[in-house]
Amino acid sequence: MALHPRHVKGESRGHYIGPVVTTEQTPLECHEITKVFGDNLVAARARLADGCDRQMVLDQTGCLVAVRDATFSVERGETFVVMGLSGSGKSTLIRCLSRLIEPTSGTVKIDGTPIGDLDDQELRELRRQRLSMVFQHFGLFPHRKVIDNVAFGLEIQGAAKADRYERALEVLSVVGLGDWADHFPQQLSGGMQQRVGLARALCVEPEILFFDEPFSALDPLIRRDMQDELLSLQARMRRTLVFITHDFHEALKLGDRIAIMKDGEFVQVGTPEQIVSAPADDYVREFTEDAPKTKVITVGSVMQSLDGEAPAGEPVGLDAVLDDILPRLLANPAALPVADDQGEVVGTVDRDRVVALLDENSRSGASGAGRDADQL
Amino acid sequence: MTAAPPAAGSSGVADAVEARLTLDRRRRTRSGGELAVGLAIVVAAQLALSSVGGFPESWAIGLADWIDDARRWVISNQTTHWSFSFIFNPISDAIDWGLRIVERFLLWLPWYVVAAAGGMVAAAALGMRAGLLAAVGVLYFGAIELWEESLQTVALMMVAVGISVAIGVPVGIASARYDRLQRSLRPMLDAMQTLPAFVYLIPVVLLFGVARVPAIIATVVYALPPVIRLTDLGIRTVSPATVEAAEMFGATPRQTLRKVQLPQALPSVLTGINQTIMMALSIVVIAALIGAGGLGQVVLESLRRLFVGRALEAGLAIVVLAMLMDRVTHGAAGLATRRRRLRLMPDSLERLGFVRSVESALESVDRFLCRVGASLASPVRHAPGLAGLARHPRWALGLVALVVVTIASAVLGRPEFPSAITFSFAPAIDWLVDWVRDNLYEIGGTWFGTGWFSDSITIYAVTPLRELFSADLAWPVVVLAVALAGWRLGGAPLATFCTACVAGLGFLGMWTLSMDTLAQVIVAVVMAILCGIPLGVLAARSDRFERMLKPVLDFLQTIPSFVLLVPVIIMFNVGRIPGIIASVLYALPAATRLTNLGIRQVEGEATEASKAFGATRGQTLRKVQLPLAAPSIMAGINQTVMLVLAMVVIAGLVGGGGLGLETVKGLRRTDSVGSGFVAGLAIVLLAMLLDRLLQAWTRRFTPVEGGP
Repeated sequence: MALHPRHVKGESRGHYIGPVVTTEQTPLECHEITKVFGDNLVAARARLADGCDRQMVLDQTGCLVAVRDATFSVERGETFVVMGLSGSGKSTLIRCLSRLIEPTSGTVKIDGTPIGDLDDQELRELRRQRLSMVFQHFGLFPHRKVIDNVAFGLEIQGAAKADRYERALEVLSVVGLGDWADHFPQQLSGGMQQRVGLARALCVEPEILFFDEPFSALDPLIRRDMQDELLSLQARMRRTLVFITHDFHEALKLGDRIAIMKDGEFVQVGTPEQIVSAPADDYVREFTEDAPKTKVITVGSVMQSLDGEAPAGEPVGLDAVLDDILPRLLANPAALPVADDQGEVVGTVDRDRVVALLDENSRSGASGAGRDADQL
Repeated sequence: MTAAPPAAGSSGVADAVEARLTLDRRRRTRSGGELAVGLAIVVAAQLALSSVGGFPESWAIGLADWIDDARRWVISNQTTHWSFSFIFNPISDAIDWGLRIVERFLLWLPWYVVAAAGGMVAAAALGMRAGLLAAVGVLYFGAIELWEESLQTVALMMVAVGISVAIGVPVGIASARYDRLQRSLRPMLDAMQTLPAFVYLIPVVLLFGVARVPAIIATVVYALPPVIRLTDLGIRTVSPATVEAAEMFGATPRQTLRKVQLPQALPSVLTGINQTIMMALSIVVIAALIGAGGLGQVVLESLRRLFVGRALEAGLAIVVLAMLMDRVTHGAAGLATRRRRLRLMPDSLERLGFVRSVESALESVDRFLCRVGASLASPVRHAPGLAGLARHPRWALGLVALVVVTIASAVLGRPEFPSAITFSFAPAIDWLVDWVRDNLYEIGGTWFGTGWFSDSITIYAVTPLRELFSADLAWPVVVLAVALAGWRLGGAPLATFCTACVAGLGFLGMWTLSMDTLAQVIVAVVMAILCGIPLGVLAARSDRFERMLKPVLDFLQTIPSFVLLVPVIIMFNVGRIPGIIASVLYALPAATRLTNLGIRQVEGEATEASKAFGATRGQTLRKVQLPLAAPSIMAGINQTVMLVLAMVVIAGLVGGGGLGLETVKGLRRTDSVGSGFVAGLAIVLLAMLLDRLLQAWTRRFTPVEGGP
């Protein structure tokens, strides 16, 4: 495959979405990122250092604290979801990661290199080679055909026309739009437009992909399709993804880890299971209320350690979510054996335990009375 | 004002209602009262100062003499002073050189090549039919024996527009990038667009003398704002998401501009160029006053000698030119998004078998020509810059054909425009003018006719108003009235500004002339609004009426202001009235269009809601549509006033008198440049005064922005 020099040198990339070459470095590390909008930054910083909250800073200095002390790192192949309601600062945060917005303080390291120190040229190189982004309202170029949209990144890098078209067609066929290359974006439906956005981001083979609420402008059914497609793509390509959403279900579905953001700050960071089973505060609990817990909580967290004889039957895995075993539990009142990765039975799980856990979860979430009546 | 809580029973509710009604009454009386007090002050002042009259002439500061001195200094130092030998003269020489080259080239081309080229450009932008019409239009220039003059005007236009675009697009781009530049440019551009075209000519004459170069410079200055503005606007309205995406992919600012911003801004830039062309055309004609030559010269000379027929012939040539350039650039602006099918006949004739076969024959001819063109262009397929030709075989073929024919004609001898196809309808028009004068002045010997019409406007509106402003009202009263209006609409700053403007008119020594012009403006504006707004309302309510009106309005807006005078003169002879009527016609489209637009832009839901409550059409119009359309209608009125002012000034050429005539005198005769300049300045003051007052008034109709 004759592509831009970057693609031909060294290792052969068998399939275009093969896993990236792994290095020891954590691909993305963020330390105490803070972004303040406003003119009176000095005063705002001082107030923040004093520990004033967001409203006080706004009242006293007129500056808006969009993101405050966000610290996290994302491992290779991991999908890190930042979930928050509108105005919580998540879009600002994701733009700080590529310096589309300059953070007020804090460091972002990509593959161990602090990007705050890069000059314009180096930053452009970084964006060209390593990063990509999918935008909420697609950000497609209306004056360019689909194929020229997808090939844009390579064009900017100076790739020859034949090479970039070859590559763009390849990626377009991966997202199922092979036949639409010569259309203009506005001739496509919303879902298809976002596929173009996705193809455009993938075309440059980025190591890190940023998704800024990419599916929130789509219809619910199309949104689900796109989520499934992203999951299957990610299963093959194992890139580092940072995904912004305001939809808790989407976060649970896509995220390996989730950060819940409120008023510019992370209130909880954890796996979907951690968040659903142990919400950090009432704010998080409200989201978990109607979360599909059985799709998130794993057998491992509800099982009882093996005490005596293992029950009969095919063992279930530690990683299985409750949804997977519910049919068997409903059909069979007896306990099921739980096996670890090696296939050794380490515990049991039965109907009463699952019911008790789900019940406890819903009760602790509800602040009102009368919940007992709804018990199973 | 505290209303009783609603829970306090029926008497409490009644109290609350009563309180509200009282409040409402009080508010009404207050605004009525303010008006009454204002009027009372003005009347009292008039009674007290009834003997004062117009602005004392001895108070004029004598600016005209200084200007004349400056002019004399310029003339005597033109060859020696450094600013001329290093700045003005080189600019002047460069422009003159460019103009000569373009003009010689155009006149060197055989007439049929020019016609074919015009047709091809129009066909590429608009389709076959337009192409044929354009070619016929170009032939019209020759047919009325104004070939040379027409091409002179074209050359003047090309150079002026070329310079405007070469300056305007980069400045627009810079202004889109740097907010500070935009902020400092904006008031300048606002002022440049407010002023009537006329005004630009005078300072240019001062510096560059009388000839074609100053005409081009004045044209560039006048026509520059739209291209700057619309380039800026186009780039700024590019969706920020796409710019962010480009940045995210590591595009340099240059790449972002070239690959993302400019392509998306292109329709807007082309619209700007279109406006620039139209403005340039309108002033190139007026610039005949300072020796620009071309078609404008013919119109001007003919009008001066009252050869109305010849003036109409030349005026029509200008209209043809205007329509051609307007449509072609419009088409080019739309071309970016859609492609046209090859069509000769209207779609409605499609069902005739004969038409279909003609069309399909044309299409196969076109296909063949495209193949030929493609093969002709194939050698340059990979040449940078020419590669586009290979993609547009029709262009390639046409270009090659034109070049071949031109060279052949050059070798075989260039034919003159054949006298066999020339014609003149000037005598017929002259006869018509006489006939109108003899028969329509008093139709059938009754009192009714054009004479009655213009006489009544003169006797009952223009003359009394002029007398009122310039003589009957004491000048301090006029100043006071304007100041009060400014204070009411925009507080102390506006009041100060307005006072300064009005007083300025007096100190310039232009009081009487200004009041004359003001009276004409007021009469024309009232007439334009009385016709324009109802037309707009009708157009908004009936799609059919809108469709019928559109070509008329398009036509009125495309005609350069100066040319519009000609048909009006046919009807009403020279004097103040044709000027006023031409102003009404000139300004009508703005009032009508913006009223129509404003009403049509009212959200469908608001209108539907009103209907759902059972409102009649009249109620919906009065209570929902008109109030919501008010900002747009006010903008229309504002534009109307500005257009009327521009036109009334031009009408000075045909006996409108006032400031316009004084300015024209200054342009024509070197000894009165000073007073011409001062009159121009008075026009500027008047324009700024009216514009600021109206803008302040418009702002009161703009709905409150923002919410909870």
